[in-house]
Amino acid sequence: MRLSWARALPLRLWGGCGGPKMRGVTGIEWAARPMCRSSSDAPEPPSDHGSQNIPRDEEQGGPAAFAAALEELERAPGRRLGRLELVAAALAAMPALGVARQLDAYNRLLRLLPRGPWVPRGPLHRLFAPFPRQQECGLQVLEQMERYGVMPDAETRFLLLAVFGPRSRPVRKCQRMLYWLPRMLHANPYPLPAQLPPPGLAAACLGLRRIANDPDARLSVYQPQPEQGDNEGSTQPYIVGIQSAEQQELLARHGPEHPVFVEGPFPLWLRSTRLFYYVLRGDPLPPHLREPPPDPERSLYYPLYLDLDLERGPWDDDEFDVNEVEEGPVFALCMAGTGDQRTLAKWIAGLQQTNPVLGQTPVIFRLGDGDSSAGSPGDGDALHLEGSRAAELEPPEVAWGRRAQGEG
Amino acid sequence: STALPSPLNEELQEINQFVGPVEKFFAEEVDSKKIDRDAKIPPETLKGLGDLGLFGMQIPEEYGGLGLSNTMYARLGEIISLDGSIAVTLAAHQAIGLKGILITGTDEQKAKYLPKLASGEHIAAFCLTEPGSGSDAASIQTRATLSEDGKYFLLNGSKVWISNGGLASIFTVFARTEIVEKDGQVKDKITAFIVERDFGGVTHGKPEDKLGIRGSNTCEVHFENTKVPVENVLGEVGGGFKVAMNILNSGRFSMGSASAGMIKKLIEMTAEHACTRKQFNKKLSEFGLIQEKFCFMAVKAYVMESMAYLTAGMMDRPGLPDCSVEAAMVKVFSSEGAWACVSEALQILGGLGYMKDYPYERYLRDSRILLIFEGTNEILRMYIALTGMQHAGKILTDKIKEIKKGNIGLALQELVNKVRDSTGRKVDYGIMEERGGLVHPSLQESGKKLEENVYYFGTTVRGLLTRFGKTIVDEQLALKRVSDIVINLYAMTAAISRASRSISIGLRNHDHDVLLTNIFCSEAYFKNNYALAQLQKYADENLDDYIKKAAKQILEKRAYLCSHPLDRTF
Repeated sequence: MRLSWARALPLRLWGGCGGPKMRGVTGIEWAARPMCRSSSDAPEPPSDHGSQNIPRDEEQGGPAAFAAALEELERAPGRRLGRLELVAAALAAMPALGVARQLDAYNRLLRLLPRGPWVPRGPLHRLFAPFPRQQECGLQVLEQMERYGVMPDAETRFLLLAVFGPRSRPVRKCQRMLYWLPRMLHANPYPLPAQLPPPGLAAACLGLRRIANDPDARLSVYQPQPEQGDNEGSTQPYIVGIQSAEQQELLARHGPEHPVFVEGPFPLWLRSTRLFYYVLRGDPLPPHLREPPPDPERSLYYPLYLDLDLERGPWDDDEFDVNEVEEGPVFALCMAGTGDQRTLAKWIAGLQQTNPVLGQTPVIFRLGDGDSSAGSPGDGDALHLEGSRAAELEPPEVAWGRRAQGEG
Repeated sequence: STALPSPLNEELQEINQFVGPVEKFFAEEVDSKKIDRDAKIPPETLKGLGDLGLFGMQIPEEYGGLGLSNTMYARLGEIISLDGSIAVTLAAHQAIGLKGILITGTDEQKAKYLPKLASGEHIAAFCLTEPGSGSDAASIQTRATLSEDGKYFLLNGSKVWISNGGLASIFTVFARTEIVEKDGQVKDKITAFIVERDFGGVTHGKPEDKLGIRGSNTCEVHFENTKVPVENVLGEVGGGFKVAMNILNSGRFSMGSASAGMIKKLIEMTAEHACTRKQFNKKLSEFGLIQEKFCFMAVKAYVMESMAYLTAGMMDRPGLPDCSVEAAMVKVFSSEGAWACVSEALQILGGLGYMKDYPYERYLRDSRILLIFEGTNEILRMYIALTGMQHAGKILTDKIKEIKKGNIGLALQELVNKVRDSTGRKVDYGIMEERGGLVHPSLQESGKKLEENVYYFGTTVRGLLTRFGKTIVDEQLALKRVSDIVINLYAMTAAISRASRSISIGLRNHDHDVLLTNIFCSEAYFKNNYALAQLQKYADENLDDYIKKAAKQILEKRAYLCSHPLDRTF
């Protein structure tokens, strides 16, 4: 065993320039790792693995391959060398194999580490920052868990305590994760469902409900999605619109003498799907037309307006906000397969059934006002990210290990 | 004078003559349990009520009614309230059903309809509420269109939750009519009509199955092209709003005496039970918690009665004074007091109170409606507070105008008053003078508390108007506290004046009167002080902002938000 002084240094001591870096591996190579353990300088393992030199069937699925590899490792006798590189390679392979969000995988990985040898033997030992690489390996595991939003559980904590001892960096990080991760996971008051529908009518409905954010709003499909096999952008793209009762009243009160505008397309991102929506809005009315004039004969039981000359005092007036810009009322929203005027005119015609005042109101189309980088609105999946292929995120930086992984 | 108005001796004897037969009728011939079970008042009972003249208590004698004053009406209401369904049927008939004809009817209308209504041959109903319109007059959809020859109106629409809807033959209906104003504008205004069932097109639905007052007939009433002659318009065309407001505001005060009568009966029944039942070798009446309940019921009954008769006496004064705010206060206090007292009475009986064999559960169910009908308590609180604010605001704007005009003297006086308020002052309105004061000396403490509360209430209202101005209409939580204080003040006034009269003329058990009054005034004083503290700016006791914030979050998601106590994160 060649002890290199560089290997004894912690990774991040000098801003990450201590220690050699190791390239990550793809899943298939890691799953085949148990078969060819030539990355470390250690002598070849005993030939009980020789019988399994036949490469396994890798197409049965990433998680299954990962589980198989782990089982193989658990069966093998404990090897004192190469464990850190093993863990690093496993972490790099997890996203590719699709197990990055499973807590079980991380727990089984942590079980491969030895329990006891890496626990500092006293406060004096602890003073000298013992086992830096080992602790950083644990930290890397936890960092990947944090990145994918996986909560450590009691078993993780137990394993970390056994491997690194209390008051070590991984255990401290685990405690912090147990505090912060639930908060972060619940931070979004409007979470998206885990499985998003493919871009199309269903995604448009979801997007419209998110924008409207009103449980009373009525979603109407004016034209259903064309069957599979038709081109996107054919003569019958889908049109779906949303409007609530208050918006209907506002539109009715807006009156036929003030024009309304159809503006768009505006982009809306649902994780990695881009949808475009169009807005039917009007200009803000002058203040005296906004609310109906006070009617003294409105309420039978108590006066709705006091006939006094007293205004609200300045200390109690919370209404003024310098950041609040006055915008006109928004009457309805819609998403459509194509964004041309004919399709949107069909939408307006459909709206007219519930808002007869649209028949007399001038409707002005101001299309192309939205995002200039907007592609064709039918191309919801612009970045081709959601699909059959799992997203390829960069693997976490694993810089320990002597050789670049490409050798093995 | 603040002493409770008392009827003349002849009037009192007259009332007592009525009281006897009515009590006998209710004791012997009214089977409340059967009425509640069958959800119907038997026709013999209705006939008996008509024979006693109870259908026309406030109708003048020339039209065949009893012509009772408000005070006497309140007195009889105490007995009638022993059966909730009958009380509501009679109230729906006369307090709102035919009140319109009484107040705004022409002589021909009165002569045509009142005699039959007074004898009970025809029953009246009040048709205002619609499915979309409870207190909002703007959403009334019933329409009355004038015919081409201008001789009659065609009425179309439906009304919901009409008491006596199935029994009545005369309806006071409120509908929208088009009227042309002086400047030529065509507007939709509400008009009141007297509609007879014989006009045709009047149908009613099946009686609603209610929680309480099950004997009272409540149903939908539909009008289909009903022809209403022009002579049957109550008041003027387009003036229905005022008519509705007058009718609704005038019938409320009798709830005070009705509730008081019911509570007095309940005290008798429960005391009978508490003094006979023994547990742990002690009578129930020896336990402190039970004694507290009895005191609570007695205090509430006393104050309710005082308020009701004070209001009735005020309304009986010549000149038709506007006592709508006082009547609203009586209604709010009495309805909430009745609900609490019946609940306590049931509690005293424990499990027995819960059984249908005993009348307590029926009283509880019947008294729940008191908080809802005749104007829900929340709306009436707004009414009380806002009417007062309008009045106070006028005085304040006048003062501000005077100061702006350059009246230095007034400005200096205001400044001096502010300084004296903040450094603590002694309030003296002169009720408790050493000799010749308005109130008997044994009520001195209560009188002082009342004076103090009134003064600080005045300054607080002034502060509220300065802070909010006319936008105080939107600050309902502050207005609720204001109206609670006002109701307490009125209650204290009524109780103190009645106790003072009682001890001054030496009525039986006057010391008990004084005791109940002192108890009530101390409690009300503390409640008022707490409410006044909450109304100050930046008060720690004021949780309005937090309440509104929590409510906003809950209503946004329309559900309870907190995670289950058993939820885990790992």
